[in-house]
Amino acid sequence: MKLYAPHLGHLEGLEELLAGSDDIYGVYMAGSPEYVGTGRTNLSAPGLDDIAQQTEYAHEKGVKLEIVLNSSCMGGQHLTPEGYRSIDWYFNKLNDIGIDSITVADPYLVEMLARDYDMEVVVSVLSFVDSPQKAEFYENLGADTIVIDSAVNRHFDKLEAIKESVSCDLKLLVNEGCLYQCPFRYAHFNFFSHANGPGPKPNVTDDYYYYKCLSLRIQDPELIIKSPWIRPEDLKDYKHITDIFKIGGRTHFVNWTLNVVEAYANESYDGNLMDLLDCPKDLKDLFYIPNKELGSALSQWKQCEKVCKRCGYCKRLTQKITQIYTNEGTEQILKPLSSIGEQQ
Amino acid sequence: MTLIKQLVISRGDLENKLRNLLGKPIFLIEMDGFALPCGCSGMTINTRGLQVDDLEIFEEHILKYLDDIAQSLEIDSSFIFARLIPGTSEIASLNLRILCNNCYMDFARGTGKQPRPDIYILRFNRKQ
Repeated sequence: MKLYAPHLGHLEGLEELLAGSDDIYGVYMAGSPEYVGTGRTNLSAPGLDDIAQQTEYAHEKGVKLEIVLNSSCMGGQHLTPEGYRSIDWYFNKLNDIGIDSITVADPYLVEMLARDYDMEVVVSVLSFVDSPQKAEFYENLGADTIVIDSAVNRHFDKLEAIKESVSCDLKLLVNEGCLYQCPFRYAHFNFFSHANGPGPKPNVTDDYYYYKCLSLRIQDPELIIKSPWIRPEDLKDYKHITDIFKIGGRTHFVNWTLNVVEAYANESYDGNLMDLLDCPKDLKDLFYIPNKELGSALSQWKQCEKVCKRCGYCKRLTQKITQIYTNEGTEQILKPLSSIGEQQ
Repeated sequence: MTLIKQLVISRGDLENKLRNLLGKPIFLIEMDGFALPCGCSGMTINTRGLQVDDLEIFEEHILKYLDDIAQSLEIDSSFIFARLIPGTSEIASLNLRILCNNCYMDFARGTGKQPRPDIYILRFNRKQ
């Protein structure tokens, strides 16, 4: 199994991460937002010298280093002559440094990378490859690896069709807790891409999409169960698709990342499922979902027709196993989800 | 009891009261005391899952809960407002604010509950 772990982006973080685990095959981090942004929040903007130093360090440890430049919207700037020259210059520098791979979301950048550079080209999960047709398109464009849209993580028919249709590597993002068929997905990633891109950066006080995402789950916790995460114990069911798995979470402490790496490397976790999910990370202090009690869920989801109104399995499961953190004085205790509002 | 310990207790108490009132697991993600350079001071309670409808329907109850907090933390509760994400039903925070003279004038000029699209006033006791 090849596990890719998120990296905060500074050398100290990388040293701590790689000292803490021998199970990491590769790490990935953002590059400089001055050229191509990323579709997710970052805590760092490493310059070329930082990237060179960290690439050397990772390689000394036998670990691959991937730079993620998966902006889902660049406002067309990359198509201008100035934009092209700037990105071409940056790609050349990364190429010279010797990073192993580069993840992009825009088809234009996939083609550009595949034609002119030696770095492996990874198609981002933000390219939303959810069908064999899209996978074939990106493979023909020059992709070495495709990260499959996590929205189809529980659609084995689609996963198997993609596997059958392409010969490039496939990668699965295992711990993204986004809403299933999230209606905010495009708008939110586009917002992040501008906020974490070359600019002009929007001066936003509140991230509406994130607030709404949390609010919906607070009102309807079964949405967390329906999110297309993959439990560590269930990796074995995906190994006919791929043995490359990516852990999301570029804004978490190294300690968090190491805990998640250990869970997926051991293919087992005895604790709160929320500990493993990259997002919505705020809700790990609200809900306790015992991971081990989700043991039989995947066999249900494998045959699920995704018509929730007809089925109700996730709703029943949520009511049965979800607990909620409550404070009594200064003590934090767990109560069943069904206890909410019962004192009314 | 220390101020910090009182904050911990007050956050949990308010969260429990809101959950029982509204029947959903309202999440108070952070409770902070603040002092601004202009002279304003007070408390901000960042909320998740609380919506404008909840405020409009249960305004009286929620004001009572906030008065309880104000009392336990010895904060003047003459100005209480919610900060909204403009154009949506989402409430970002509940706030008890002791206004400086300049900020008081900004709020005193208006008469309605929403002097700005992101502010919903629950209580504003005008100076005599």
